[in-house]
Amino acid sequence: MKSATSFDCSELVDLDRKTVSPRVFVEPSLYELEQERVFGHCWLFVGCESQIPEPGDFITNSMGEERVIVTRDTQGEIHVLVNSCRHRASRVCRIDYGNTRSFTCPYHGWTYDIAGKLVGVPRFKEAYDENFDRSEWGLLEVPRVETYRNLIFANFDPQAESLTSYLGNAKWYLDVIFDRTEGGPVALPGVHRWTVRGNWKVNSEQQCGDNYHPDFLHRSVLESGYLDVSEFRGTAPDRRDLEIKCGNGHGFMILTLGYTRNYPAEAVSYEAAVRAAAKRRLTPEQANLVNDGITYVANIFPNLSIIVTLGFASVRVNHPRSPLEHEIWSLTMVDKEAPQTVRDFARDQQNRTFSPSGIFEQDDGEMWMDASQSMRGFYRRRFPLYYGMGAGRGQTRPDRPGLTHPPNTEIGVFGFYERWRELMERGEVPR
Amino acid sequence: MTASLDEHRRLFEELLFREAALLDSDRFEEWLEMLDDALRYFAPVRATLPRGVENLARPELVAHFDDRKADLAARVRRIRTGWAHAEEPSSRTRHIVANVRVLAMDAKDDTARVASNFIVFRSAGDRDERTFFGTREDTWRKTAGGWRLLERLIILDHNVIESISVFF
Repeated sequence: MKSATSFDCSELVDLDRKTVSPRVFVEPSLYELEQERVFGHCWLFVGCESQIPEPGDFITNSMGEERVIVTRDTQGEIHVLVNSCRHRASRVCRIDYGNTRSFTCPYHGWTYDIAGKLVGVPRFKEAYDENFDRSEWGLLEVPRVETYRNLIFANFDPQAESLTSYLGNAKWYLDVIFDRTEGGPVALPGVHRWTVRGNWKVNSEQQCGDNYHPDFLHRSVLESGYLDVSEFRGTAPDRRDLEIKCGNGHGFMILTLGYTRNYPAEAVSYEAAVRAAAKRRLTPEQANLVNDGITYVANIFPNLSIIVTLGFASVRVNHPRSPLEHEIWSLTMVDKEAPQTVRDFARDQQNRTFSPSGIFEQDDGEMWMDASQSMRGFYRRRFPLYYGMGAGRGQTRPDRPGLTHPPNTEIGVFGFYERWRELMERGEVPR
Repeated sequence: MTASLDEHRRLFEELLFREAALLDSDRFEEWLEMLDDALRYFAPVRATLPRGVENLARPELVAHFDDRKADLAARVRRIRTGWAHAEEPSSRTRHIVANVRVLAMDAKDDTARVASNFIVFRSAGDRDERTFFGTREDTWRKTAGGWRLLERLIILDHNVIESISVFF
């Protein structure tokens, strides 16, 4: 069946000219389609296992605009349940996290166990007859849930490829961050959550490979003495700065930048020990990238962004809320083994740099809002944005997966839109 | 000789109103002078939880601010570079400080715990308007140079908040 909204993907994302139409950021009809065609088929990050360590633990989150509860059942299995009563659709869980045996809908009292099974219906015997089979009316469960290094992902598409296959080349790089220690990443308590009045893609594309903006947009951070500019521009002797188009829309950046000047001595020795130990877990090429004054920035398609500087990770989801609004939900992550000094330092860095008040984040948010709002007008919308910087300069290397390219290019950034177009073009997938 | 409750409240109202005026008139350096060198300026994230359950005391809870004076000074220096785009051109802000209560005053009248509520309105550009509501629990310390802010716990009433480029 033809969609009610017709659009020409070749005009929205022009693969030859490397352009993207402003329409993809502002048009409500495209936003609606995107919910199902993009968010309905991708692996979406829904939380860290350390947030729900015990049976009965749960957190609430969302997948696209769909509100979900991530639970651990009495057997230790993780479930991702749609947070909406099967009777009249109200949320059955109205708090952010906790531990419970069951969820009771506040409207008519339908009650579900931690795995989503309908276990209580008020006045069941008097009110319902044999046509109503309780076993069919459990909470909707997101059919696919898989984890990678304590990170929980879910997918609405029962036919979806495995998470490992979905991550593809990006996994090699993510291993450098999340598989460097036995324990893997754990989240510090609390979630930074804030609204940006701009389209979610403007944010996600930046994390995919925009190594072009920092020394201009973030000039105030450099000039106020927070960073050493020479580090920042990748002029350090061991220059490893690289952008990677990983495929499947994922992008990754490696920057020689480590905030080394502020780093406490105990943390420096911890990082050295991790680097040494990582050689036993990772390939030599991966181990060579473990920290050592390196920052990583990544976007796992569609909206999981990862920003890592010495020893901590901001693992955040750019949740769409409307064409011109998204919410960032950010976890601060450290190695499970990290000593208190490193945990404290990570927390401080996160609070000051990439939180809602962060000295980087404030200005990024300003641009995401400004760029999005500036594309609302009918006339501006007719003229595409150019993403062709460095096109064709990508290299395949024996020691690095994906299409690699020294900065600055927009190869990885455009890769995000190539994947977006592919999913939008594919249309409805039969259920 | 201790002053009356009323006198204490007037004293700290005056101090908090002066602070608000400095923040609303781009006099951030003078504001920094009101801060003690040992200041902790802490605005933890909030959460929606069952009635009576509060997350604020969770150890290591992440925060919108957990700054020392030096960190706040760095934020001010950043604004002064002229490249802090979220505040360039500068926004218009208004700090409304109310419900001032002196919770405790030590015997020598040189340390005080003071609570106050605030509304901070920020308007930038044409219609980029944000309003922040919250309450603060301060500890002020009397020094030779006057009262200095030693601790400030900022409890914002927002769960999912907007980007913060102002001080509370």
